[in-house]
Amino acid sequence: MRGSMEAGTLLRGAIYWSFSSHSQRHLLQRARLRRDVLASSSNPQLQKSYQGPKPKRDLVPDWVSNNDSTARSLPIYVGGASLVAVLVNRAVSGIAPVADASSSQSRADLLALGLAVTSILTGLVWLTIKPKSISVVNPLGVECRMISSSHLPDPLIAELLWAWESLSSVTCCRCLVVVYDGTCILQIGVAAESPDGEAQAVDAARLTEGSVYQGVMKSGSQSYLANLSLYPGRSELPFLPSNTQAVILQPLGDKGIVIIGGDMIRGFTTADQAWITYLGEKLDATIAKHTISGTPLKIQDRV
Amino acid sequence: MGSLSIGPLIQLGYSSCRLPSNRTRKPIAIRADGSPTSKDQQDQLNVSVLRFTFGIPGLDETYLPRWIGYGFGSLLLLNHFAGSDSSTTSAQLRTEGLGLSLAAFSVALPYFGRFLKGATRVDQVALPEGTQQIFVMSPTISDSEKEEFAWGSYVLLRNTNTVAVLISIQGELCVRGYWNVPYDNGTAKAPILDWFQRQIENIGLGDLKDVLYFPQVPGSELWEMLPNGTRSLLVVPVLQSRDGSGIEMIKNRGFVILASNMEYAYTEKDRAWIRAIANKFRVQLTVCPRLERFFGQFGPHLLMGGPARERQIYIIHSSRTSGRKLK
Repeated sequence: MRGSMEAGTLLRGAIYWSFSSHSQRHLLQRARLRRDVLASSSNPQLQKSYQGPKPKRDLVPDWVSNNDSTARSLPIYVGGASLVAVLVNRAVSGIAPVADASSSQSRADLLALGLAVTSILTGLVWLTIKPKSISVVNPLGVECRMISSSHLPDPLIAELLWAWESLSSVTCCRCLVVVYDGTCILQIGVAAESPDGEAQAVDAARLTEGSVYQGVMKSGSQSYLANLSLYPGRSELPFLPSNTQAVILQPLGDKGIVIIGGDMIRGFTTADQAWITYLGEKLDATIAKHTISGTPLKIQDRV
Repeated sequence: MGSLSIGPLIQLGYSSCRLPSNRTRKPIAIRADGSPTSKDQQDQLNVSVLRFTFGIPGLDETYLPRWIGYGFGSLLLLNHFAGSDSSTTSAQLRTEGLGLSLAAFSVALPYFGRFLKGATRVDQVALPEGTQQIFVMSPTISDSEKEEFAWGSYVLLRNTNTVAVLISIQGELCVRGYWNVPYDNGTAKAPILDWFQRQIENIGLGDLKDVLYFPQVPGSELWEMLPNGTRSLLVVPVLQSRDGSGIEMIKNRGFVILASNMEYAYTEKDRAWIRAIANKFRVQLTVCPRLERFFGQFGPHLLMGGPARERQIYIIHSSRTSGRKLK
């Protein structure tokens, strides 16, 4: 098992995929069909390619999104410069610097000043709504890809892997653990390192009895721990890397839980939370469907 | 949520997540709130916002610079034409020129502000008029695929600013939402599906490789089937990379069309999640290949399985021979 290691990936521990003979058959078919692929013709259906309007590049939104800090302070500079320009104009033209509305010149000056002040204030408002940039904290631990049991049906495995790929590419998720019916059926991503150097396995029994799990089950809704270091129940999640920043606990019906660890404080946005809620419901439905016969998802002998 | 009122004009406080509160609860075209409590919202965003507000409900102060720009600009013009006793001096002309350009800048400020990070949308969203809500699926798909399509379309409609979604995977359609169908409510599904199929063929989306995002739909009638009032359009292709004879080919397996009645409806994160959902349909394809289909149309490619399956097969080898990099 401990073969050569590539730089950047520490692959240790009991990492296995368990497959039924189903996939072995596919392997053989794949080898056999490779020859047929070379001989067969391409897709006979000729699809008309899209000739409609292509979206043109929007310069302004792109520029604003890319130069966020410049765009935020732009109104302040514009307003300040105009303020100075109005005063200089008055001075240069030999008009007394008195702010009265008697002459049309003064009125025009006042209006211009008012506009400059509006611009400055808008710039200040924009500066204050700048989201704090939070840095990513790389989780300390060991890469882990573990699926339990040799009898999980393929659609379920595919769905679990899809969930992991989606979460890891879209959000700041770095580790994913799915516990259902007293067993850990998935542990993927970065896991804490156990004393013997392998990935720390999830003690599902201990987790299920802990207060974190009970609390989530009782409320029945998602729990978002935006800053894990402030949370006292941290000790009940020893399998997560020690410097995991944020955790989302999503219940799967009343039998399971999904634990998602992120690498940024408050890294999961509200949109992410909403999507994860729906994801949890889908996983719950799929797992329930595929274990409806009552086959327990216990860990079998490793392949 | 602490707030300190200093007079009616300035409210300094920690704002909770600025979800649009002036939208009435419409069945489809809303953003899901998720389930966090207000304390969680406060922890998440933790952004102190200096908001200039009159405190009048329903009045959006984001557009205040625009109104000030229009108001002061018109006052400047009034001053120029009606306020001067003698002829205007060059100094006054300079000031007025500066004032007018500042007014134009103020008018444009809310438009720029919309694209900043952390900007909130408070657009009023009205459901399209005169179009009916439909939900049809091709009859020739398996039950598990029906569930996938139903769940996918439901999630897309609920979680994004979408009013209409069309999913087409390998010719099978799932259409949900408000579409501009020239059939009455109550016609059978088959003609509706055929009509959509013809529309799609006319547009030619079968070979799409890139994501098409129109944040502002050009022209009033981009495609006939889109509902009235469509302002944004997003088309995400479902691609599968095939490793045939050494060349990696990317084949289009289908696409997902999302229409919204808000401009700039899909943020970067929305699009990322929508791509993830589109990937789900691709994964579904590879897990449940239908034997009679792939021998007929697509050749034996599908038997090799999709990327997820390939990775799994690869891992069997790697775990037994050497610990090679899994990804």
